[in-house]
Amino acid sequence: MAFAESQNPLRVYRIPQSRYIDAVRWLSPVSPSDRFAAIAYFDADTNSPSIEIAYVDPNPQSSSPTLTPQSSWTSHSRISSLRTAHSTPQPLLAAATFSGSLHILASDLINGGVMESEATVSQLGFHSGPVSAVDLREGGTECVSVGEDGRVNLVSFVGDSSKLNYRRIFDSNGLVGYTAVKWASPSEFATGGYGFGIQWWDQRTPGGPVLQFKGNWCQGKTSGIVHSIDIHPSRKHTCLAGGSSGTIFAWDRRAAQQPIVLSGAGTGEASNSLLSESEVWEVQYDRYTRRSNIGNISSTRILPVMICSEDGILAVIEQGEEPLELLAEPCAINSFDIDRQNPSNVICSLEWESLAILTRS
Amino acid sequence: MNPSSTFANPLENPNAFRLHSLIYWQKEMPGVSSDSARGALVPLSPESPAAAVYPLRHGLKSPISRLSISWSRGNSLRVSVFAAPSSDGSVNDGDGGKVVEVKLGGGDGEISEAHWRRMAYGSVSPFALLQSRKNAVSSLSKMSMNSSPYDGDWWDYIMEYSKDINALLVNKKTASVPVLDDPKSVITKGEEPTSLKAAWELLEMFYAEKPSHSWLPERLVDWLADYDSLFSGTHPTVHSKLVDFQKELVNLQVVEDDPKYWEVMSSALAVGWLNIVVKMLRLHGSYRLDQLSNRETENGLVEAVAVLISKMPRMRLEHEAGKLGECYKAKPDFVKAWEKWRGQINKLDSSAFWFQCAHQQTREGLRSMLQIMLGNANSLCSATYNWIELYISHFLYMRPLTVGLESMYSLAQKSIQLKPMASAHRLMGLIIGILGENTEVVLAECLKGFGPWMVAHAIELLTAGSDHAEMLLHEERQNLGGISIEELHRLVYAQVLSSFPLTWQIAPIYLISCMKHGMVLLQILLSKQPVQDNQLLLKSIEICRLYELHSVTSNIMKIAGVHHWKHGRKGSGFFWLQQARDEYRLNRIALQLFDSVGKTISDESFKQWEGLIQLLGSDSKTAGGLEFLHKYRDFKKSLRQIHDGKATDSARQAVESLISLMKSPSMPQRFWLPLLYDSLKLLNWKERPLLNVSQTNLLLNKLQELSMARLRPDFIESELPPRALNSVRLALGTNLGRAILEE
Repeated sequence: MAFAESQNPLRVYRIPQSRYIDAVRWLSPVSPSDRFAAIAYFDADTNSPSIEIAYVDPNPQSSSPTLTPQSSWTSHSRISSLRTAHSTPQPLLAAATFSGSLHILASDLINGGVMESEATVSQLGFHSGPVSAVDLREGGTECVSVGEDGRVNLVSFVGDSSKLNYRRIFDSNGLVGYTAVKWASPSEFATGGYGFGIQWWDQRTPGGPVLQFKGNWCQGKTSGIVHSIDIHPSRKHTCLAGGSSGTIFAWDRRAAQQPIVLSGAGTGEASNSLLSESEVWEVQYDRYTRRSNIGNISSTRILPVMICSEDGILAVIEQGEEPLELLAEPCAINSFDIDRQNPSNVICSLEWESLAILTRS
Repeated sequence: MNPSSTFANPLENPNAFRLHSLIYWQKEMPGVSSDSARGALVPLSPESPAAAVYPLRHGLKSPISRLSISWSRGNSLRVSVFAAPSSDGSVNDGDGGKVVEVKLGGGDGEISEAHWRRMAYGSVSPFALLQSRKNAVSSLSKMSMNSSPYDGDWWDYIMEYSKDINALLVNKKTASVPVLDDPKSVITKGEEPTSLKAAWELLEMFYAEKPSHSWLPERLVDWLADYDSLFSGTHPTVHSKLVDFQKELVNLQVVEDDPKYWEVMSSALAVGWLNIVVKMLRLHGSYRLDQLSNRETENGLVEAVAVLISKMPRMRLEHEAGKLGECYKAKPDFVKAWEKWRGQINKLDSSAFWFQCAHQQTREGLRSMLQIMLGNANSLCSATYNWIELYISHFLYMRPLTVGLESMYSLAQKSIQLKPMASAHRLMGLIIGILGENTEVVLAECLKGFGPWMVAHAIELLTAGSDHAEMLLHEERQNLGGISIEELHRLVYAQVLSSFPLTWQIAPIYLISCMKHGMVLLQILLSKQPVQDNQLLLKSIEICRLYELHSVTSNIMKIAGVHHWKHGRKGSGFFWLQQARDEYRLNRIALQLFDSVGKTISDESFKQWEGLIQLLGSDSKTAGGLEFLHKYRDFKKSLRQIHDGKATDSARQAVESLISLMKSPSMPQRFWLPLLYDSLKLLNWKERPLLNVSQTNLLLNKLQELSMARLRPDFIESELPPRALNSVRLALGTNLGRAILEE
């Protein structure tokens, strides 16, 4: 296993928060030097969950970056999934809760990052039980939410109605549970669930998934749950997924039912170095690459991927290469986000009530 | 572990009932007898009041009918108060009940809950590292019998551990050092000291630093300089006098006229805060340029004392940069310098210049400072405010060569006699315990003053170099249920960690270091974790994987499976039962699933089933009794296509599926008839018989078996029209005839 420190300078700052962090995301900055992050907290002492916008000063006088809270929004239930839309000047946040509601928040970063709840869906029947994942479409007018109850809902928020309406795209009545979701295009998205299954949906073809990547492909070996999906805008035919037993795989829709396993279960080959044996909580394509042009990479090759795991690993994996370990913490890394504008910056949340900010250079 | 008790309502005041304190209720641990007082886990202090009564506000208007008390997270009690239903049946606001959380004990005032958790998180890695090094050292020493396990790198390991833990105890960020040195600021405020850090540093200097006890007195001098302020709350201290004087200093025009100025300087000198004393001396009015000429002698005396103070010989390794005093490492050098220094003081004391000093306060103040430096017992006693300060002043000016814990202890006893204290600060108790070389007292003081975290981590230091302490703490004791004191305290700490939702995950680190009961308690801990949330569930399973607790894993998965199933998340429930390889429950839910498949597999619901059936896989081991669902789905699919009008090919496929279903051993008998009834269309296929002779015979045999089974009392009749059996029998008969003809 290669360690990042030896190859390129990596600065890591750990900032204790004294509160549990359920999710963390970068917000798209107003000016190039600004850094804002949205953090979903859970205060165990007072039992109160909240979302805060914090200004991240990456280069203050003191040696480590500082977080300055800008505004806070109190939630009635813990946040199960948090996403931000990047292309709007006033960034939108979509927050799903364990009690089955969805909140759209808008933050005005120019005027001190004031956060307002734009709209809320909490009707009975939206989801029964927790919303397990949510994703905002780029451009931020639509949001898809999935749950283990087997419901797939589409929430559109054009206009300023405070009560959102949602459309049920599918309801499996609990026969299939979904644990991850990601938009691929304005009409298509992918969901993930049990048994490492992935479903491909197209709003133009209603009534169910248009394509299914069969679960349980690692026959006989331990199966697992997909925790996170990512789709690269230039490679929409490929779904990247991370889940149980350190499994990171990609499903190329053109190649039918054969997964491309980057690490973990079901490989059975020694050539695939095992990065982690525990849950991979999040996967994202790593846009920070040493190669100048990703267009040069063959379209069948999987682009570099960043992952975080329960056993405290934050690493970058490239197909056929040794994984590059960025962090090896004594506790779990539950979520991370790569800054879109400046992909050298990574923020991640650690199990022991702290945040870590990484700067690659 | 979750005691709940209910009380009837003998309460005279319905609005504020009294909760009799349960603070002294002991959390009982499995395997530890609690019937005798000796079995008590935490020693009860007899001087505590027997019962405390606290009113509890619950805000209920109507009288209380029932009360339920249970443990909540950590040290909190959850009290559920149920109101009596109102007699006239009307519904009022405030009816029903209230749940109140009662926190027992405010915890440690100087350390917040969040900081406490940060310490708990931070101490995991040093603790785990030390344990693994200990194991390595002990296995090494087993191999080579004669070498002592405690040499070489051992002390480095202990010191590294102690430093790592110590670094966690810093309460706040260090205050920024002012750029401009204020001449009138005599004490600088650094980081906020905490008793916990002070206690850890005491343990570190006495147990972890490679035993070179000749430096201990000087280490204690430094320690008091850092932590004297901690005693200010309960005792008068030099520090608090300094702080008071600092406030007055701003308004003082002529400091040397104020008797407090001299008093405070003598006190600071007595406890060895040389820099502060010299700085204060330089505030003396004789240094002012306009007065220098007519107070020349006076100024000379002040300066002479200041120089003597800054030249004080110290028996220590080195000083922090900028600290006054001269260090000597070797005893002979020190003794020589010491004698010379005292000679200079004596000479100054008996000089004639004092008669030329006109300022009375200066003359008396300086000469009393000289008495302190000469080690005058009365001067030291009156300059210090509590026994620790007196003790330190004795080290500095009377017995700088004190070596060995025994003589340090007797000196401490003497100091306490001279300055008895009404109430003991928790740090004072700890110091006495350490000096008295009584490991049990040290442990008890740690527990009483600083709680289970301190004890669990301090034991590592206590056992580091002392064979006696190691024997004492590692010996298995009958009255503790066969465990050692060390294990007991680790278990107690793990128990505390387990009771908080954010820290339970680090309890396993401590539990597995407990040889006797650790593993069992770990299994109990993991089995008790909630299964509702996948993320938490997977975190528990990960811990099971690390410690190879496979049976616990499968139990947790079974619980999760049933939970999800009951809440209608059939896919999730099915997945977890499948992961647990729980064939019994899979078979049970298969029956339920089959019922709903029969009812709901229609055109529009097919996609719902598709995902679940794919999850089943075709491997019979992981599918439990559900593999037939796969075939049943195929059968239904083909049947449906016949309805759609697709002809014989689909019908043939349907027959294939039917036969393999009927052959399948996992296919429950009660579904045979419904299945055959569904297939009537195939049996009566118009164009030609679809089933050959042997196939038809198989089905007829099954039908016969079914008729026999119907006579048994436990047979479950399917919800079909009463003529169903006959029509199937007739169709099969007809088909048999046609098939024979065809062949």
